[in-house]
Amino acid sequence: MKLTRRDLLWGVAGTAGLLVTPVPWKLLDDVSIWSQNWPWIPQPARGPVEVKQSFCTLCPNGCGMRVRMASGWPVGVAGVASHPVSRGALCPLGFGAHQLNWHPRRLRTVRHRASSSSWEAARVAFAKACSEGPIAIIDGYPGRAASSVFETFVQKRNGSYRTVPGPETLALAPYESWSGVPAAGLGYDLENAQTIVSFGAPLLDGWATPGRFTRLWAERAAGSTDPQLRLIQVEASLSRTAARAWQWVPVHAGSEVALAEGVARVLLEERLVPARGPMPPMTLAEAAEQTGLSTGAIVDLARTMVARLPVVAIANDDNPAIAALNVVLGAAGARGGIVRRSKHAESYASAEADVESARAVLIDSTVPWDFAPPTNAEVFRFAAWDGGTGTSDWLLPAPGFLEDLTDVPTAPASAIATYAVAPSLLKAPPEVQSAAQFLGGIDPALITVEKIIHTRCADLFRGRAGTLQGQETTSVAKVASVQKLEEQLWKGAVWIDEPPRSAAFRCELKEWPATVGSAPAMSSSENWSKAWRAPVLPPLASKLYLESSLREPPDRRNV
Amino acid sequence: MNARYGMVIDLDRCTGCGSCMVACAAENNVPPIPQASPRTGTTPMLVRRVSNGMEAGAQREVFIPIMCMHCEHETPCVSVCPQQAVEVDKATGIVMQMPQRCLGCRYCMTACPYHARYFNWWDPAWPAGMEKSLNPGVAVRMRGVVEKCNMCHARLHSAMAKAAITGKREIDPADYVPACVEACPTAAIQFGNLADQNDPVSHEAHSPDAFRLLARLDTEPKVYYKSKEAWVKALAESKSGPGSEVKHG
Repeated sequence: MKLTRRDLLWGVAGTAGLLVTPVPWKLLDDVSIWSQNWPWIPQPARGPVEVKQSFCTLCPNGCGMRVRMASGWPVGVAGVASHPVSRGALCPLGFGAHQLNWHPRRLRTVRHRASSSSWEAARVAFAKACSEGPIAIIDGYPGRAASSVFETFVQKRNGSYRTVPGPETLALAPYESWSGVPAAGLGYDLENAQTIVSFGAPLLDGWATPGRFTRLWAERAAGSTDPQLRLIQVEASLSRTAARAWQWVPVHAGSEVALAEGVARVLLEERLVPARGPMPPMTLAEAAEQTGLSTGAIVDLARTMVARLPVVAIANDDNPAIAALNVVLGAAGARGGIVRRSKHAESYASAEADVESARAVLIDSTVPWDFAPPTNAEVFRFAAWDGGTGTSDWLLPAPGFLEDLTDVPTAPASAIATYAVAPSLLKAPPEVQSAAQFLGGIDPALITVEKIIHTRCADLFRGRAGTLQGQETTSVAKVASVQKLEEQLWKGAVWIDEPPRSAAFRCELKEWPATVGSAPAMSSSENWSKAWRAPVLPPLASKLYLESSLREPPDRRNV
Repeated sequence: MNARYGMVIDLDRCTGCGSCMVACAAENNVPPIPQASPRTGTTPMLVRRVSNGMEAGAQREVFIPIMCMHCEHETPCVSVCPQQAVEVDKATGIVMQMPQRCLGCRYCMTACPYHARYFNWWDPAWPAGMEKSLNPGVAVRMRGVVEKCNMCHARLHSAMAKAAITGKREIDPADYVPACVEACPTAAIQFGNLADQNDPVSHEAHSPDAFRLLARLDTEPKVYYKSKEAWVKALAESKSGPGSEVKHG
């Protein structure tokens, strides 16, 4: 057929006519919307939305958490402003924690040396080990109800209960050896300090309860040239804390101890403090040589430290030189320094001790994945997620985030004693068990976590001391019954102890402690992920580590 | 409603923790993308670490959260969009992105002086089962469209719905707080109505320490920054952009 000029004109006129009708535009719009809603594009769940109060249990700090639930599933988390320690803040990893239970590395089967096994086989193997020799149980967060279950279990079998303390608790260990007060009962009275000297501790980047110091710093120091709270950061590199500190003291890597000794010598020689001796062995010139600072800079630092009191030095490890500096400064057992928050704290033995002779070692899911006990014993490792290469004989799937009832004792380094209950907001899959449930299967006479929490609530009620802080603050003395107190705690309230009448403790230094140099500072990428006890990071951590240049990916980039 | 929502970010308070980035992604159902790089990732809220370029003891750094600046005047992304997929909401001043209209041409990304727009290079995907954890108030965007900060518009909708139920015409400011503002542990990010003389954010925006990024372009961003440090203020007009950015700080 021959195309004529008339046909062409008809075609143009027809197309123009069609374009003035809504048909093509409607079709284009529909196709656009339809193609953006392919069936494989995930759709958010629909259903009633409610907000529940809980606590983050992924590290020992137990920050208050508001969990938004839709159709029974957690769809978002936020901090709780009324929490006395975390004060509404969460760490960056915590904001993605509600997605962890679906992490591809979630453990759902019992594994025995890389092959699939069963709970019954694990129970038989552990019971056999218990009958053959001493056992050890290693706990990541001591002081919980589950910790009591562990302690009772090992006491019955003449075994040992061991803990893996975090850097904040480790830094308090020297005071325990000098004063006899358990490190677990000590804390930093940061709220009353006027000068804080951090020797490499990441105070603004993952140290202890994230909200506690960051809120304090924001209120009393941020952006001021003459702040109420002077933060001095001693560190080799410009870390996040150093970048925001009132003063950054750049020293050679690993020379923080030398600086502490140099400063202590200046304080004692110039009589800038009431303390008298013992004198550190390092001279000022030696300290200057090791740190790379001038002697004048060390003298200036010593004078600045005592210019505004109270002052406290914070270490990032258990090296005693910085603790000794606190004794010289008069900060040990004093307001604004290291204080005793509770008279009832227990002393815990580190997992490094006495486990090599054990027949079997049970490691709770709260212990960092990287921790390997120094033993050849049969290792039963509980974990909710598989962190990759592990050395355990048995890998036992534990409840995930918000799936297990637990209580939340006082956070490490806190100056006040607190207690809270984190109820299980999600039903745990049938194939997982907590370590306490597992031990209960072996010894049915063992008391359960729920009963211990009930007993602890009853003790708090009988003590009639402290307050309950939830939506409103209530004195425990005014709570009508144990049931009422328990009900409030289960709804997210926090029990806060009364401040001790005297937070002082006697800490004497007979001779300057022998030191072995500072541990290398953690890189800023490790700060959060080291404190984080789960073996994997939440998938949204990819925003921090992979999809931006904000942080270098940590070794465990299981995101 | 005749508001002009904006933010004032106090850079002297920002510690660069990244909580705002994760909270933003969780609130807005931004998928985790393990194969993405800083160039191809989707970070509607992005914290950059910038150095003053000095050596040793004189070195200083600042963390700058960057998101859509919600330009009020001659909004660059609006003027280049062939699909009318971007518009400035007259009632709130929020620059809205409508993924249903977006063709993925990325003109807006080129036009944005702040590099605050992101292209979805991959289908949105979460590990199996994790879709249950998605925020029901926000639809998931598909591959091939551009997205950016919309000041947590779903939260504004919720606040408006709550106000309507109680018979009020105006929302309670406490009901509308974007996720990044809520997440900031140092309260460095403040949010409010810049058009309201009584709003603290309006006061902060006019403080002597406040400034806007690339103010010379005259696009009138509604995101203000604050710092007492002169070198930080000087960054605002830097022609090299994030040239002194510290990677993986």
